[in-house]
Amino acid sequence: MPNHDLSPDRNGVRFFGTLSAAVTHDMKNFLAIINENAGLLGDLAGRARNGPVPIDPQKAALISEKIRKQVNRADGMIKQFNRFSHSMDHAQEAVDMEEMVHLVAGLSERIIRHHEVFLTVTAASVPCRIQAHRFDLLHLIFRAFEMVCEILDNAPEDTRKEVTVNFGSDPMGPEICFMYDTDTGWDTLFDDPKDRALLDRVNMHVKKAGTGSGFCLCKTFKKQ
Amino acid sequence: MSEKVLLVDDEKDFLDIMSERMQARGMTVKTADSADKALAMLENESFDAIVMDFKMPGMDGIQALKNIKTQKPELQIILLTGYATVEKTVEAMKIGATDLLEKPADLEALAAKIKQAKAEKMLLVEKQTEEKIKDILQRFGG
Repeated sequence: MPNHDLSPDRNGVRFFGTLSAAVTHDMKNFLAIINENAGLLGDLAGRARNGPVPIDPQKAALISEKIRKQVNRADGMIKQFNRFSHSMDHAQEAVDMEEMVHLVAGLSERIIRHHEVFLTVTAASVPCRIQAHRFDLLHLIFRAFEMVCEILDNAPEDTRKEVTVNFGSDPMGPEICFMYDTDTGWDTLFDDPKDRALLDRVNMHVKKAGTGSGFCLCKTFKKQ
Repeated sequence: MSEKVLLVDDEKDFLDIMSERMQARGMTVKTADSADKALAMLENESFDAIVMDFKMPGMDGIQALKNIKTQKPELQIILLTGYATVEKTVEAMKIGATDLLEKPADLEALAAKIKQAKAEKMLLVEKQTEEKIKDILQRFGG
């Protein structure tokens, strides 16, 4: 493994732990469904052995398809988790923000779903890259998701629990925008010193979205 | 008489396959994909046991457990979870869960626990009835 001295701080370890717990929980669910389908095949075989009812080929094919579906879900999740796990191996480089948003969204789907929040990621019209450490950028995007979920949890009851992520390029550089249906909670975003430090590491800052409700994470240009 | 079970999980595929296998073992099974829906079903229907996922969107397992136990204290609740930590198990048991099983669970073990849960529920109902009769006799019989 390349050594770029990118050891995450305690907060980074917490982020890694949170996503690992969510992913392993999902994996357990996939295994539970595969286990029950295997059990059902065993039940059918048992009935066929002990009585005149043969195994229905259509039923067997359906069970096989259900097992394949869960294996595909698990495979997709493991691939994403593997990419996430290797994000610490990379030195600072040009990172595609859209790709990173999709990765965090996929891995934290369970966490977002628990808040009953519906997430949509719109495709970027132009490549949206930033010079950053992958792991830090993933962490920052995850913190943004956590904050949006918290805002929507505490928003007035009639607020739609929907978030749309879109990508833009303001005159100063690339940005990721998180759009939702309430103006509450904006003033305290990324107030925590740990979140501020994370923003600094990725060379980004927060600004209120130009149109609609929400906020954007934008590239910060340091003065020479 | 067969056991009547309410199965609660946010994974539809899991609900479908579990209910099919449980029904094949003679149980009567109804399903709900959230704790809120399960609570609504409990208002109109009676069950011997609830088999419920611990982590679901919306109301979490602990809160659902508290609400169900307030509504129907005699109801036996078996929790299913991805990971059963000691702390989580202790907390669930303190609130009144009958048992906590890890996913993927062995169906025969779960079926045995459901049978046991039904027996415990019947004992509790009998006890509640006895107490009611005792109370009525005390009030009217002097």
